[in-house]
Amino acid sequence: MTDIRLENNGFEDFAVREHRSLWLDAWRRLVANRTAMIGLIVVVVFILSATGAHFFWEYEARGDLDYNKKLLAPTILPTEEGPEIHIFGTDKLGRDIFRRTVHGGWNSLRVGLVAVGISLVIGGLLGLVSGFFESIYLNFWESLVLMTLLGASLGTLPGWIARQPMQIILFAGLGAASVFYDRRLLNRKAPRQVYFGLLGIIIGGITGIFVGTLVAVVCGILGLVIGVLLARPLGGKIFSSFVMRIMDVILSFPSYLLAIAIVAFLGPGLEKGMIAIGVVGIPVYARLARSAVLSVSQKEYVLAAQSVGESHGRILFRHIVPNILSPIIVQSTMGLANAILSAAALGFLGLGAIPPEPEWGAMLGDSYKYLSSGAWWAVLFPGLAIVFSVLGFNLLGDGLRDALDPKIRS
Amino acid sequence: MGRYILRRLLSVIPTLIGVTLVIFLFQRLIPGDPAVAMLGEHATEENVARIREQFGLNRPAFLDRDALAEGDLNGFFDSQYIRYFRRLAHLDLGSSIHRRIPIAETLKERFPATLELSFLSMLIALLIGIPAGIASASRRNTTLDGVTMVGSLIGVSMPIFWLGIMLIMLFSVFLKWLPSGARLSTGVSIQTITNLLLLDSLLTGNFTGFVDALKHIIMPAVALATIPTAIITRMTRSSMLDVLQEDYIRTASAKGLAQRVVLFRHALKNAFLPVITIIGIQAGTLLAGAVLTETIFSWPGIGKWVYDAILGRDYPIVQGVTLLIALIFLLVNLAVDLSYVLLDPRISYD
Repeated sequence: MTDIRLENNGFEDFAVREHRSLWLDAWRRLVANRTAMIGLIVVVVFILSATGAHFFWEYEARGDLDYNKKLLAPTILPTEEGPEIHIFGTDKLGRDIFRRTVHGGWNSLRVGLVAVGISLVIGGLLGLVSGFFESIYLNFWESLVLMTLLGASLGTLPGWIARQPMQIILFAGLGAASVFYDRRLLNRKAPRQVYFGLLGIIIGGITGIFVGTLVAVVCGILGLVIGVLLARPLGGKIFSSFVMRIMDVILSFPSYLLAIAIVAFLGPGLEKGMIAIGVVGIPVYARLARSAVLSVSQKEYVLAAQSVGESHGRILFRHIVPNILSPIIVQSTMGLANAILSAAALGFLGLGAIPPEPEWGAMLGDSYKYLSSGAWWAVLFPGLAIVFSVLGFNLLGDGLRDALDPKIRS
Repeated sequence: MGRYILRRLLSVIPTLIGVTLVIFLFQRLIPGDPAVAMLGEHATEENVARIREQFGLNRPAFLDRDALAEGDLNGFFDSQYIRYFRRLAHLDLGSSIHRRIPIAETLKERFPATLELSFLSMLIALLIGIPAGIASASRRNTTLDGVTMVGSLIGVSMPIFWLGIMLIMLFSVFLKWLPSGARLSTGVSIQTITNLLLLDSLLTGNFTGFVDALKHIIMPAVALATIPTAIITRMTRSSMLDVLQEDYIRTASAKGLAQRVVLFRHALKNAFLPVITIIGIQAGTLLAGAVLTETIFSWPGIGKWVYDAILGRDYPIVQGVTLLIALIFLLVNLAVDLSYVLLDPRISYD
């Protein structure tokens, strides 16, 4: 196609220029970035060796034990005493450290992917919806659903206290009513709050009276609060601020202290570690996705889509989501690095993988116990494996940031 | 500004309640009955019942609707969470299960050790990180810059417990220069005033004590300082690079000011705000990182304490210390937010 290029005084004609997609462009920038390529190579080697070892190099951790070979220093060539070579040496139980390190990669990869998956899916969705609700003016049906759900969920508390499922339904109705009577009927004589507050007292009090006077009083007060709250022009922001408050709470713990604490209470295990690391990562993605949505939704193309009457779902998934992907991809890459580090920390503390299982952190925790024997190889190699894989993901993440968003490149 | 400070202070309250809620809910994560977890599996029926009564474990978690139905308003609020919250308000963090010592008391002994370690680490991080960041930014794209950047990237990619073990391996096992654990050698004593040993030994003029304490603290402090150093370096560099592109920097250079003056008086002051945010965040990370570092170096601070508590399933300690660290983290971040107003007159929140 390129040979039909016309003489155009050095200006490239857009119609003739070879068309490239956004992702291809980003890929080319990534390839041109030397440090990013180093990162990519490390990551690919890590993934290939970990999956390759898992599927093609059998290793049974449970039976791996040979006291005759314990604490052998690394050897590259076979010697007269030992015909077998252990390029990383052996540990206290005579296990080949090279083999365990390669197999440990599989566990790190698994933890990283699952933990980032948890944070990304939950955090990303929460952030996406929060940001969208905050920046888009909800239409009638959306407000109706939101306010009904809000009424029902607030009504759960008095409903639970009075053992009256009816209250939940009635408060859901009150929420729906706040949408219907948005501007009509009520606001001339007195503020909406008064009417809704009174309705709340009635709903709470009357259904509560079946249980006892005190219950009726408490439910009445709760009903008043709920009614007044529902009468306020809330919109989608209430969802967003609620979610972000929860995220603030999670963020007010230093991240891996929280992971350690969660696993301490759940009990040790690689799966529990994955969950803990994943949960701790949720707020990062939620905040990132929310702020990206907030900034993208002010862009002209989103306003244009709104003004031609595209549905909100279509705007969200066709116009907003593709445009917030790049920061999220970058964050996920870095997140993998963090998850590997956290998993190693949990393993080291004895809260991650259960012992004979090869896991880098657990291997370090194990070799730490016989440190005074001077077996430096038992400490060095699993640690290097962590450093290289984490460094690889960090380098790749840095490179991806530059490649995906050339504008912010400084 | 007064109103902003007040509003910011008030905004901490819901987060604080949320934090106590999270820590309270930890109790629920324990599989099985917490009373049995406290007493061990061979506990008798009546002992379990007694513990349940004593710790209020037979109360409902949040609110007691049955008590309310019987017309008992106090009983309505007499729940596990509200009891827990009330105890916290009285600075009662509960007691250790095994040793039955109030957590607050042990905390008074152990917290200074962690504080000393964190302070020294932060000092190391600042003394290395900020100059390295400035040097790297002012000589952009040189070998120095490259080395600093690669170094800091390795710093954030390194598990600190691994670095700790390697340091012990090198300096304690092979070279035998430094001790591998504890705060002081046996036989050396320092009269405690603040329980920060470096400070106490200086105050009492105990030079041998000071050297001994320094020898013990230097390895854990360096290990703990790695990540903050790397992050502060990167932040200082990128923040300086932003500022160095400003017009007033070009003006300052153009009128012939020495590079030193331009860098430190004109650029650094303006580049400092993001660095302070990072320092605030790192303060929390340091306290959390203490769990790993202290475990490796047998440092008798709160981190080692939590680790031992986790192994011994002494849950109140884990809860108490986690709460304390979260509180400190919250307060440091609050202080960082408030310091913006003082440091940058352009920012006003009214």
